[in-house]
Amino acid sequence: MTTPPSTKTFTPARPIWCAGCGDFAVQGVLEKSLRNMGILPHKLMLLAGIGCSGTIQNNLKCYGYHALHGRVLPATIGAKLANPDLTVIAAGGDGDGFAIGAGHLVHTFKSNPSIMYILMNNSNYGLTKGQASPTSPIGYHGNAELGLDSMLLGLSFLSSTFLARGFSGNPEQLGRLMEAAIEHTESGKGFAFLEVLSPCVTYYDTHREWRAKVYNVDEDESFDPTSRAAAFQKVIELKEQGHIPIGRIFKGEHPSLESIIVNKEETLPAQQNIGHFNEHRKHYDQFIKAHLV
Amino acid sequence: MTSTNTNSQPVLEDISVIVAGQGGDGSLTVITMLADLFRNAGLNVYTERDVASRIRGGHAAATMRAFIGEKHCIGSHIDLLVALDEEAVEKKVHQISSNSIVVFDDSSGPLRSGLLPEGTKLYAAPFNRIAMRTMRRELYKNSIAFGIVGRLLGLEDEAMRQTFTKRFERRGQIILDYNIEALELGLHLADEMGIKRGEGKYRIEQTEPEEQILVMGNESIAFGFMAAGGRFFTGYPITPSTEVLETLQKWLPRCGGVARQTEDELAGINMAIGAALTGVRTMTATSGPGISLMQEGVGHAGSGEVPLVIVDCQRSGPSTGMPTKPEQSDLNIMVFGGHGDFPRIVLTPGHPDDCFYLAVDATNLADKYQCPVFIAMDQALSQNIASVKPFNLDEVKVVPGKRLTAEEVAELDTYKRYSFSEDGISAFAAPGTPGGMSLVTGNEHDEFGLVSTDPKNRVKMMDKRFHKIEEAKKELPKGRHFGEPDAPIGFIGIGMMYGVILDARIELEKRGYNTQYLQPRTLWPMLDETLEFIDRCERVYVIDLNAQGQIAHLLMHQGADSSKIISIRRYDGLPYRPGYLVNQIVEREEELNNNDKKEAKAQ
Repeated sequence: MTTPPSTKTFTPARPIWCAGCGDFAVQGVLEKSLRNMGILPHKLMLLAGIGCSGTIQNNLKCYGYHALHGRVLPATIGAKLANPDLTVIAAGGDGDGFAIGAGHLVHTFKSNPSIMYILMNNSNYGLTKGQASPTSPIGYHGNAELGLDSMLLGLSFLSSTFLARGFSGNPEQLGRLMEAAIEHTESGKGFAFLEVLSPCVTYYDTHREWRAKVYNVDEDESFDPTSRAAAFQKVIELKEQGHIPIGRIFKGEHPSLESIIVNKEETLPAQQNIGHFNEHRKHYDQFIKAHLV
Repeated sequence: MTSTNTNSQPVLEDISVIVAGQGGDGSLTVITMLADLFRNAGLNVYTERDVASRIRGGHAAATMRAFIGEKHCIGSHIDLLVALDEEAVEKKVHQISSNSIVVFDDSSGPLRSGLLPEGTKLYAAPFNRIAMRTMRRELYKNSIAFGIVGRLLGLEDEAMRQTFTKRFERRGQIILDYNIEALELGLHLADEMGIKRGEGKYRIEQTEPEEQILVMGNESIAFGFMAAGGRFFTGYPITPSTEVLETLQKWLPRCGGVARQTEDELAGINMAIGAALTGVRTMTATSGPGISLMQEGVGHAGSGEVPLVIVDCQRSGPSTGMPTKPEQSDLNIMVFGGHGDFPRIVLTPGHPDDCFYLAVDATNLADKYQCPVFIAMDQALSQNIASVKPFNLDEVKVVPGKRLTAEEVAELDTYKRYSFSEDGISAFAAPGTPGGMSLVTGNEHDEFGLVSTDPKNRVKMMDKRFHKIEEAKKELPKGRHFGEPDAPIGFIGIGMMYGVILDARIELEKRGYNTQYLQPRTLWPMLDETLEFIDRCERVYVIDLNAQGQIAHLLMHQGADSSKIISIRRYDGLPYRPGYLVNQIVEREEELNNNDKKEAKAQ
C-alpha cells in the first residue's frame, strides 16, 4: 500500500501526566526518534506496563497494548517472536520493571530479544501517591533500603548488548540514545535497554537534584562503552562519588533471541495463513508416522 | 495356532500386567516392550505409569492392558504382577486375586508368607543376583525377568528377541548384547521353571495389526494445536503437563512455529498473550500451581478479548499437592477463576484421540470468539499412553477468526478494535496491517480500546463479551453418549473417567443394571444436552475426582435437579479402576433398594 488509508481509527489520547512531568519529554523524544528512523505507525507495537508511564501507548498512533502490571516484557517478547518484522517497544516505570516485573527484566537481559525497553524512572510510585520504589534512596518515605541500579544489573549479564541511561532534562542526548536503541533493535542486535530519569513533579521532584548529580559518560573521551569491565568500574566509581551516570553505558554483541529460535526457512508465525492446512501437511503426516506402532 | 492345541490355554483377549519396583528399576521399559509385542500380535494396548515425584528411587510401577477391541483404561483385575522387590507386592497386592500370577525377584529373600492371596501362582527367581553375578550390573535384572514374563504370556521367543533388538540397538552394540544375553538367561530360567515354549498361561491368536498410533494425551493436545494452525507456545515445565511443551518444542519449529520455555508461568501466559496480539494462534499449558499463577492473565485475555488456549493438566492439589497423581480439582478455577466477570470456554476430552480433536476445536474457538479456552486434562489422561486410530487429518477443519486485511480496513469509514456487533465478535487488524492501528487493554474500554469508565459503555462492553459465549453455545463440542436414552441410571464423568465408566457399564449390565453415560466435552458454558441428560435419568452418578464435588455443584448451579444427583467423590490420588466404581455403584443401588423396601413396609 503506497498511500495510507483514510480510515478513521482511534484518536490518540492526551497524556494524563501532571504538568512538568518528565514523561512528556520522553514521549516527545520517542515520537521524534521514530519519525527520524522512519518507523511506520502500522509496523510499530508499543506495549506499556502499569503506572503513570504505562499510559504512553494511548498517546501515539500505532498498535498499542496495555499489559498487566509487571508483565510488559513477556508480552513484548511474545509479540516480537511471533512477528520479528515489527518494531516492538516496551515502556513502563521503575515499579513495573524493577519491582513486580524484575524477574522478567533479568530474563530479558539473559535472552536478548530485539526489543527496546524504555523505563521511565521517577524513583517513586506516582500513580498510587508517592510510595517508595526500588530506586528510591534511603530516607525517602521511610525507605531504609539502598536503591538498585539497572545499569549494574544489566552489565552483570554477559548476554546484554545495549545499556543506556538518559535524562528527561537532556532531551537532545535522550534523542541520540533512543535512535541508537531503535537502530540496535531494527538491525536485530538484541535487547536495547534505555532507562530515563524522569522526575515526578507531584510526589518526588528530583529534577534539580538529578540535574546536579548526572554525569554524562558520552562526554568522557576516556570512557569505552564496548568494554564491559570498564563500564562496570565506571558506573561503580561514579555511584560512589554520588553521581548518576547517564549516556551510552554499554554496547556489546550477542545473538538475539529471535535469530536463534525463529525458523528462518519458514514463514514467520504471525504471517502464516491460518486455514491453509496443506502448507504443513507433510509435517503432520510425519508426526503420525513417528507414532505408528 | 488352532483349537487343536492340547494345552487348553485361554486365548489372550484382555490382560492387565503391572511391573513394579523402585524408581529407576526399569518398570516402564518392560511395559513398553510388552506393549510393542502385543501391538505386533494385533492387540490394542493402554499403559499407565505410577511414579513418585523424584528422579530415582521411591516406589514406581507401570501398568499395561492388552486387549482385543476397544478399551480405554486399565482393567480392574491384574492378571500378572512382576514385583522387583517385596514393597512392590505390598503396594499392589490389593489389585490381585488368587487367579493372578506373580513373578517375584527373591534376591533379598523369599516373599513373606501370607502376603499373597491363597492360591496365587508364584514364580520366584533371584533376577538381581543373577544379573550381578553374570553381568556385574543389576540393571539387566528386568531383561532376565522378561524371559519368564514373555513365556507366561504366550509370546514367541523370537518376537521377544526382535523387540529387544529394536529397543536397544540404538543404544549401542554392548548394551544390546547384554540385554539379549539377559533375555536368553531368562528364557533358560523359564525352561527350568517348567514354562517351556508354547506352554505359558495364555495363547495369543496372532492377527494382522490394525494400523494404530501410540500416544499420550499431552502429545495429542500438542499435535491437535499444531494441526489447527497453532504456531506459538510458551510454558513453564510442570508435572504432568511438560510433554505438551516438549512435544511442541520438537515439532512446532518445523512448521515455522515458536515453542519456548519461559522463566515462570506468569511469563508463559503473558508471552502467549503478546504473541496472540499479532494474530498467531497461541497456547500455553500448565498444571494446578501454574494455573493459579496464570489467573491474572486469564482474566486479562477475557477482558482484552485475546484469543488463547490454556491446557490444565490437573494433578492432586491444593498447593503442591501430589504432583504425579491424577485429580480433577481445578474445575472451579477454570470455570470461575480470576477476578471480575469474563467469558471463557472449558473443554473436557476423554481419551488421547479425543484430546487431538478437541485441541483442534479449542484452537478454532479461541480464535473465533477471542477469549480464553481451557482444555481440562488430568494426570492420567495427560500421561497414559493408548493405541488409537491414526488421527483423521482430512477431517481437521481450520477456520480462521475474524480478521481484517489492509484492503478491508481501507474500505471502512472507521475502524474500531472492539466494535459492537451482532454476535459480539469484533473483527481485528493484526499489527503490521496498514491503517489498523488500535489499542488493546484489560482496562474497561470503549470501542476504540481507549480507557473508559462511562457506565453505559461499561454495561454494553460487558454484555458484548458475554454475548459471544451465547453465540458459541450453538457450536460448542457436543458430548458423547452411550447406552439407551431411557436407562434409569445415568453417569456423568470427564477426563480419565471416560474409559473407566465405559468399562464399568459393561460389568453393571451383566449384574442387571441398565445405565447410560454422558461424557460432556464442553463443561463450560454448560450445554443444554447435559441438563437434558439429567432430566432423562432417574438418578445420575456424577463422578468427581475431587473432594468437593465440583462437577456435581456446577450441574446444580446450572439448574440440574439436585435430588437426582448422586455425587461420588474420590481424592486419594489412586487411579480409578472400573471394578472399584462398579462396587461403589452396586453398594449405592442396593442401599437405595433397601430404603425403598423399608419405606414400602412403613406405609
